Amino acid sequence: MTFTLRNEPRQPSIFAQVVRGELCVAVVVFALLGLIPLFISGYVIYVLPQYFLFGMLAMSLGLLWGSAGIVSFGQAAFFAIGGYAMGVIMQAGLGEGAGYVGIISGIAASGLVALIAGYFLFSAGVKADYFVLVTLALSIIVEQMAVSQSEVTGGWNGMFVDRMSLWLGPIGTISLYDDAAIYYFILPTLAVVYFALSALKRSRFGKILVGVRENEDRMSALGYNVAFYKTAVFTISGALAGFAGALYATHSNFVSPSLAGVLFSTEVVVWVAIGGRLSLFGALAGGVLVAALSNFLSSISPQYWQLALGFIFILVIVFFKGGLAGAFTNISERTAYRSLQESGNG
Amino acid sequence: MQTILSVGIDAALITLVLALAAFGLAIIYGLVGVINLGHGAMLTLGAYFTWYCINLGIPFFLAIIFAALAVGLVGLIFEHLVIRHFYNQPFETLLLTWGFFLISTEVVKIVFGTSFRNVPSPFPFAIDIGIYELPAYRTFVAGVAVLLLLGTAYVFLKTPIGIIIRAMIQNREMASLLGLNISAAYKLVFTFGSAIAGLAGGLIAPMLSIDPYIGNVFLVRSFFVVIVGGIGQLLGGTLLGSFFIGGTETILALFSSQVVAQVAVFFIAIIILRFRPQGLLRAR
Amino acid sequence: MAELLRTEGLTKRFRGLVANENINFQLESGNVRCIIGPNGAGKTTFLSMISGHQVPSAGRIIYKGQDITRLSVIERARLGIGRKFQTPTVFDNLTVRENVELAVLRLKDNTRSAAMRIDEVLTAVRLDDREIQRMLVKHLSHGQRQWLEIGLLLGNQSELLLLDEPTAGMTSEETVATGRLIRRLAEERNLTVIIIEHDINFIRDLKAPVTVLHLGKVLAEGSFDVVAADSTVRAVYLGDEV
Repeated sequence: MTFTLRNEPRQPSIFAQVVRGELCVAVVVFALLGLIPLFISGYVIYVLPQYFLFGMLAMSLGLLWGSAGIVSFGQAAFFAIGGYAMGVIMQAGLGEGAGYVGIISGIAASGLVALIAGYFLFSAGVKADYFVLVTLALSIIVEQMAVSQSEVTGGWNGMFVDRMSLWLGPIGTISLYDDAAIYYFILPTLAVVYFALSALKRSRFGKILVGVRENEDRMSALGYNVAFYKTAVFTISGALAGFAGALYATHSNFVSPSLAGVLFSTEVVVWVAIGGRLSLFGALAGGVLVAALSNFLSSISPQYWQLALGFIFILVIVFFKGGLAGAFTNISERTAYRSLQESGNG
Repeated sequence: MQTILSVGIDAALITLVLALAAFGLAIIYGLVGVINLGHGAMLTLGAYFTWYCINLGIPFFLAIIFAALAVGLVGLIFEHLVIRHFYNQPFETLLLTWGFFLISTEVVKIVFGTSFRNVPSPFPFAIDIGIYELPAYRTFVAGVAVLLLLGTAYVFLKTPIGIIIRAMIQNREMASLLGLNISAAYKLVFTFGSAIAGLAGGLIAPMLSIDPYIGNVFLVRSFFVVIVGGIGQLLGGTLLGSFFIGGTETILALFSSQVVAQVAVFFIAIIILRFRPQGLLRAR
Repeated sequence: MAELLRTEGLTKRFRGLVANENINFQLESGNVRCIIGPNGAGKTTFLSMISGHQVPSAGRIIYKGQDITRLSVIERARLGIGRKFQTPTVFDNLTVRENVELAVLRLKDNTRSAAMRIDEVLTAVRLDDREIQRMLVKHLSHGQRQWLEIGLLLGNQSELLLLDEPTAGMTSEETVATGRLIRRLAEERNLTVIIIEHDINFIRDLKAPVTVLHLGKVLAEGSFDVVAADSTVRAVYLGDEV
C-alpha cells in the first residue's frame, strides 16, 4: 500500500475555470447595472458604457492570459484597429446600417491581424517571452501607423466617429444618440459576451487551453496541435478587443492613436492582474473598476494614483496572483489560486 | 561618394549609440534571463540623474558616473526586494520589471515634473576630418560604447571573475554544491546591467530633450537588438543586432519617413525572430 | 504477430558526437522490449527519434507499415505513439482525474463514455482510489506520478508505449507492481511497450527480450539470460552486478 497524502484538503483545481458562484454574481451585477439608468442620468450614464467596453477589453486579455497563459502587451492595438475601422465606416456614409458594418469590420480587421500574427509566430513555436515583445511591438506599430496615416486617421488629432444606429429593417431604426439608449445596447452586449466566454472557457476548447498553459510539451505528446489552439485563442481575443474598440469609437465619438499605444496596452495588463486573471468576471471587474478609479483619482492627483497603482501591481504579482477575484473567493478556492502561485505560471 | 560616406558614418554612429543603449539589457537578459521591461526606465533615470547633477554644478563626466552608480543602486535595491525571488519565473519578472517602470516613471514625474529638460552637450561642435564633419559628441559616445562593450566582454570572457560568474549562472546546481554564492553573482549582474543602462541614459541625454518617457524609445528596439543579435552573445550579438536594427532603420528612413522605417524594421525583426529565434549569430 | 515498429539504419549525429549509429530495430505488436545500456549509450535519443522529438540524421522509421520519419511529434502521437518522459511530464496543478481527462479529450467522446474511459484507465494504473483522483498531481508520490503518466498514454489510446525509466524513484513494491502492470498492458490490451531501464531485477522479472545499446550501437539482443551471459555485455558493464 503506497503512502499517500490523505491529510491534504480536497482541492478544487483551476481546470474548471469558473470560480464558484461567479455566474450568479455576474447575473446579479448585470441586473443591477441594468437598473441604474432608471434612477440616475447625466454623466454617469454617459461614461459607464465606456468602462463596460474597457471591461470587455479586459476580458479579451483575461481569456488569453487566464486560460491559455499567453501574456499580451498588445490588446490595445486590436482595440484601436476596431475603433479606427468603425471610424472609417461611419465616415463613409453608408446609411443607417453603417454601425453593423462598422462592428463587423472592426471584428474582422482586428481578428485578421491577430490571426496572421498568431499563425506566423505560433506555427514556428516562438517562445512565449518573445511573443510578449512582439505584442509590445504591435502596439507601437499600430500607434505609429495611426499617427502617420493622418489623411485617413487624422493623426494625433484623432478621428470623429458618429453614433451608430440600430437598423431593424422594416421595423425601423433605433437611434443611439441618447446616452441611455446606447447604454441599453452596450450593457446586454457585454453580458452576452461574458456568458459566451464563460461557456467557451468551460468547453473542451477551454480545457485544452488550460492543458496548453500547464504543460505544452505534454499536450503535443498527446497529439494536440498546440499552435492551432494558441492561434485560435489569440484570434478570438484580438477580435473581441476589436469589437470592444469599435463600440467604444462610436460611443465616445472619437478615436485617437493613444488608444493603440504601449501605455494603454499595459494598462489593460494592470487591470486584469488586479482584477484576477483566472476569473473572467474578475478581469471584467478589474477593467471597469481600475479604469473608473484611475479616471476619478487622476483628476485629483494623477501622479500619486499612478504611483500607487504601480505598487499595487507589483504587490499583486508577488503576493496575489489571483487578484481581487482570488481574494474574494472562499478558502478552498484560494488554495487553488495559491497553487497557481507556486506553479510559477505566467 | 560623399553621401555613401556620410550614410556609412551615420549608420556606424547610430549602431554604436543603440548598442550602448541596449547593452544593459543584453547583460541582464543574456546572463540572468530577466526580461527587463524596466530597462527604458533605467535609461530615463540615468538621463535625469545626469541632468540633476549638472544642475548642481557637477561636471558632465562626473555626473554620468554618479548617474550610473545611482541607477545601479536602484537596480540593486529592486533586485534585492523583489526580483531575486523570481529568477526562475520569466513572466513574473517581466511583469515586475514593468511595475518598476510604472513606479519609476511616476516618481520621475513627481520629482522632476513633466516638462522637457535639457542636458547641454559637452562637445557641441563638429570635428572636420577633411571629407566629413564628425559630430564630436556623438563620436565620443560611440567611442565610449566601443570601449564599454569590449571592456565588459573582456571581463566576462577572459578574466577569472567573469568566467566564474558566467559558470555559476549557467550551472546553478553545481555552483551551490560548491558552496559558491550564486545570489551574489545574480545581484552583481543585475546591478551592473542597471548601472550600464544608467550610464547609457546619461550619455544619450545631451542628444535628446529629456522627458519621463525618453528611455522607452529604446525599450523595444533594445529587445530586438538583443534577440536579433542572439541572447547571450554580449559583444558580437549586441553589435550585430544594433547594426541591423539601427542601420536598417537609418537606411530605410532615407527613402521614407521615420515612422515607416521604424515599423518596417520591427516587421523585419519579427520575421527574423520567427525564422531564427536563436539570433543571427550562431550560439557558441 | 504483425510487425509494429521497425527502424532501418537509424542514426543521430550531434555536432561532433554520434548518439545513435545505424540502429536496426524491430518489434511486433503486443510485445515488450527492454533497452538497456550504460549512461550515454544513446537510449533516450533512440526513443526521442521514435517519438519525433529528435530528427534522425540518417535512416528510416517504419510504424504500422508507414514511413513516419518525417512526421511531427503531434502526428505520431495521433497515430498511437505515446511517450513517457524521463522526468514525469504531467499536469502538476490539475487533479489526477483532470490529467486523464485531458488525455481523453482528444478522442472527442461524449461525457459519459469519456467518464467511463477515465475510470477504466485510472483503475488500470492503480489509481482507482477516489480520494487520490481528486488530489492535485503535484502531491502524488513519485511512483504514482509515473503510473499517471502511463495512464495518460492509455487514455490517449496509444498503441506503442515508449517508457523512459518508469521505475526511477520508485520503492521496490512499486517497482514490482509496475512490472506486473506493464505485463498486463501488453497481454490484455495488446499494447507494444519499449522500456528503457536500469533496474536489473525489474528487467529480469519482466521476462521480455532485451536490446543492449553501447556508444550508440546495438551491442547485443536477445532474452535476458542470453544477454546477461554475453561476454561483451559483461565487459561493458564491468563492475555492475548482472
